[in-house]
Amino acid sequence: MAWYQVKGNETDVVISSRIRLARSIKGYPFGDRLDDKQRAELVTMTEKALAGQNFTRTDLGSLSPVAREALVEQHLISREFAAAKYPRSLLRNDNKSVYLMVPEEDHIRLQCILPGLSLRDAYRFAIECDELLDASLDIAFDERLGYLTHCPTNLGTGLRASVMLFLPALTDGGYIPSLSHQLSKIGLTMRGLYGEGTAPRGCIYQISNQITLGLSEEDILHKLEETVQTIIEKERSLRAAVTGEAASLREDRIHRAEGILRYATRISSEEFFSLFKELKLGISLGMITSLSNETLNTLLLSVQPAMLSEGASTPPKTPAERDRLRAAFIKHALEVKHHE
Amino acid sequence: MKCEKCLQNEATYYYEETVNGKTRSLHLCAECAKKMQSGQIPKEDSAPDLFSSPLPDLLGDLFGLSPKKTESAKRCPDCGALWQDLVSCGKACCPTCYKTFAQELERTVRAIHGNVTHTGRAPAGFRAVHEKEQRIAALKKELAAAITDENFEKAAELRDEIRKLTAN
Repeated sequence: MAWYQVKGNETDVVISSRIRLARSIKGYPFGDRLDDKQRAELVTMTEKALAGQNFTRTDLGSLSPVAREALVEQHLISREFAAAKYPRSLLRNDNKSVYLMVPEEDHIRLQCILPGLSLRDAYRFAIECDELLDASLDIAFDERLGYLTHCPTNLGTGLRASVMLFLPALTDGGYIPSLSHQLSKIGLTMRGLYGEGTAPRGCIYQISNQITLGLSEEDILHKLEETVQTIIEKERSLRAAVTGEAASLREDRIHRAEGILRYATRISSEEFFSLFKELKLGISLGMITSLSNETLNTLLLSVQPAMLSEGASTPPKTPAERDRLRAAFIKHALEVKHHE
Repeated sequence: MKCEKCLQNEATYYYEETVNGKTRSLHLCAECAKKMQSGQIPKEDSAPDLFSSPLPDLLGDLFGLSPKKTESAKRCPDCGALWQDLVSCGKACCPTCYKTFAQELERTVRAIHGNVTHTGRAPAGFRAVHEKEQRIAALKKELAAAITDENFEKAAELRDEIRKLTAN
């Protein structure tokens, strides 16, 4: 099962938690200075280090551009890694939701992504994998600067911890700019994930640590967890504070959204995001009981262009065809859920 | 070459992005490159990339903080890079560059992270040494506090413990 289909904690606000570790191997140059032979060596030695641990290897060069984009849409690889022209591989263990890109900007980029608020579990799985690498590879490390990375922004722990949050009430209340400003003061970064601007589509944001050197892994996780808990409470209290006419209008919007998603025959990506927002809010407020957060999170990832094409028997050729396919896909997913 | 966004300043950055398999490239001036990074210039609509750095990748400016009068002929023994190579890509060229150009990189690293001392995990081979150093650093802090508090008995104990650890 993919990470987004699994049940998580605090899923009314937290969509996913992610841990990324950057690691490099001594004696190998970074980036463009690597030749293809060295890149292949890096893949082979990483694969060997993880032998017997249920990792499967996918060479990105053997995939179609659409299949690569679908991996980006599921957050399993970075866009840069998908677009690179050199030989590179993804090593994946779907049971533990651990994915390694070799070589990415650093020789090894290891990530664990889990649903809901589960930074600790994600960290534990990532570290288990890191220890396997450490046991058989000559990891580049400096006593003063920590794990050595291509870009100095990742030095030290090489750890980027992040959470993907759904914040409709904070967005509608106009709190996002000040929240983002406060977060930057404590070394955390917030950005809208889908689309640009201050009110991104679907009200989905990512918060991550900015600094990787001088703070221990525990410090980084603790700070992010505490902050996320505060944001969850604020978001929930704002959702609960809506009363009277505003609450009645909200209820109407939520059920209309459900109706459109169930019966429309053409849905654009933009429309999906605005309906997603209402529907997810409806689930968290208990107004929609026939759907789970997991179903909705799966929809969020599955209706993106490349994922739709990958899942279709005949990939759509025009935006109109894609909108029809998206509507049919959503309708089917909601109907199946409804009859379960 | 002029910047392809503002069409005014000289382009000094090369920007490339691939959306749904379509790659577009732009030559930008420093100002527009910064705007592009911070999202002020909208990029094409696409799935979000959770992997992209929350900090701007354009570190050339931060590398410029370091003293200019470095030995220009100094080369990294592992990858052969010159300091100028690091400045132009805004990144280290191999792990050994961090040793070779330790002095030059100090201000850059400090500007990014606010400090230059790793605390946290280390590979198994380093763990014993690393933990000892962290322990000594912590004891030294305690020692300074004990002296400030005029708790000389405790200070003497701490001093002995530091000596013991340093001697091993």
